[in-house]
Amino acid sequence: MAVYKRRYAPYIGSLTPEWSRFFVLTRYAFAELFKSRFFVILLILGLVPSLFFACYIFIANSKTVQMLLPMGPTDLFSVDARYFTIMVIVQTQVAFLLNCWVGPVLIAGDLTNGALPLFLSRPFSRTDYVLGKLSVLVLLLSAVTWAPCLLLFSLQAGLARNGWIWSHLWMVVPIVLCSAIWILTLSLISLAVSAWVKLRIVATGVIFIAFFVPAGLGEMFNSIMGTYWGRLLNFSDMFRLILAQGFREKSASGILGPIRWNEIPVTAAWGVLILLCLLSLVVLNARLRAREVVRG
Amino acid sequence: MNPTIELNGLEVQLGGRTVLHSLTGVLKSRAIGLLGPNGAGKSTLINTLLGFHAPCKGSVRVLGLDSHANGKELRSLVGYMPENDAFISKVSGVRFVRYMAEISGLAPEQAMERAHEAFVYVGLGEARYRPVGTYSLGMKQLAKLAQAIAHGPKVLILDEPTNGMDPPARKRLIELIREIREAGDICLLLSSHLLRDVEETCDEVLILRNGQIASICNLVEERRANRKFLELETIGAEATFTSTLEGLGCECAVFTNGRIKVVMPDSVEIREVFKVAADRGVQIRRMNHRRDSLEDIFLNAMEQTGVPDGRI
Repeated sequence: MAVYKRRYAPYIGSLTPEWSRFFVLTRYAFAELFKSRFFVILLILGLVPSLFFACYIFIANSKTVQMLLPMGPTDLFSVDARYFTIMVIVQTQVAFLLNCWVGPVLIAGDLTNGALPLFLSRPFSRTDYVLGKLSVLVLLLSAVTWAPCLLLFSLQAGLARNGWIWSHLWMVVPIVLCSAIWILTLSLISLAVSAWVKLRIVATGVIFIAFFVPAGLGEMFNSIMGTYWGRLLNFSDMFRLILAQGFREKSASGILGPIRWNEIPVTAAWGVLILLCLLSLVVLNARLRAREVVRG
Repeated sequence: MNPTIELNGLEVQLGGRTVLHSLTGVLKSRAIGLLGPNGAGKSTLINTLLGFHAPCKGSVRVLGLDSHANGKELRSLVGYMPENDAFISKVSGVRFVRYMAEISGLAPEQAMERAHEAFVYVGLGEARYRPVGTYSLGMKQLAKLAQAIAHGPKVLILDEPTNGMDPPARKRLIELIREIREAGDICLLLSSHLLRDVEETCDEVLILRNGQIASICNLVEERRANRKFLELETIGAEATFTSTLEGLGCECAVFTNGRIKVVMPDSVEIREVFKVAADRGVQIRRMNHRRDSLEDIFLNAMEQTGVPDGRI
């Protein structure tokens, strides 16, 4: 089918492996995202807190810099589990904001323009489609959560020496695992909203509502019933509970706000986040169809 | 060689309602037309072929591959041009086609090359860098065709391809479809409301009505039979005239006011009809000459299945 010949010719070249094709969606989505200046600025701003955390590590490990401070050399700057817990919390908040901007447009555009039958009429399943879109958010949110955390962990390991890395290596697991569960929850919720709501501004609003309204309702429930179980509807707190357990925090104050450590079992927190993921998958399953079937 | 489409008691239910009722038939031609009134089940059949709907009974095979059991394998052979708007609005035309070709498994470089070729081939070369969302309806149809052929499919499924196209664009598209059919080892399934589109591009027709097969007609054989019809208005000795024509092998039906319908075999030319008329002293006041068209086949199928006016 050479241009100059202007005639149809079948394709006889090689094909890419089927398992890798979902990544085409991710690649094209990233290309579109990086065309937006606002997105690039948002991404850069999202990494700014990591710079402050890096400065902290530098100060904690540099006696020279500490001597320049008014209080002189001090043990105040310690890089430990609490430091990384706070860093993960800050970065996951950044991830939430980034997710609210990027997530709503991922599927809605395809649904509005009826592009889904084009994807699904190819050797490309709905799972591949969701995987492709999910990868966009997973990669993006990873870039602002566990990736900078691990980089700073390496930086601290390099600066601290004295076997710091071996005594703190266990922290890699909660950094990655807790970030992963939050990334997965956020991504699936925003994909489900994107599959449901076509307007970006409305979809962003719905994501905010999905996180803040149940939390408010939960607090109301707690006040009326005199219990703490309403906190199950505060998804951020459930994540923090898992995080606190992961980092072996004896006291969760400062991480969980007014909630006490042993009021809600961690298994319940896991249950809530897993349930959210499953609900999102149910919505995606219902919405991502090549053809809509009208009942009746 | 496997038949192009094989329907084995195919039954499809959507929303608790049976849309396709036990379709059974074999279509062997390389270019198949799908006809039927609105709601006949054409789109449901196409969607079932593509694996969008699962059959509740029976099966459908395309080139020997079961649409359900070998869905992925089958879809790797298919190029699909949907009826409704289907595009990615913010990307340029050529990028849209490249994207779709990459999803079909082409490497990025090959996909880009094929996307340019497909765009030039369908006649949108000049507009390929414009966002698809800014295209006119006709251009969107062509862009959909480009994405359907860019990866070089073995089966091309076109659902109402000429929708929204002006006559020159329609003519060009029909020519393209014929070229594609003739150029490569490709099977074509075309669903259209326009009988003329199907007649110009297809060799075999599947006519559906109320989710059932009204007729399967091989147009090639019909054309080969080359039955020629004459509608005459005559004055004079009709009886001797028709008996002489019947002696030549024609079939005649006589109506009131000297109207006669004549079915001519291949061996008889029209001038022989004039000669017989002159010999018998019959005046031919009016003559319509036409072949048995797809419209006749379609209307006939509709009448046989009880649709009085053969609406489409």
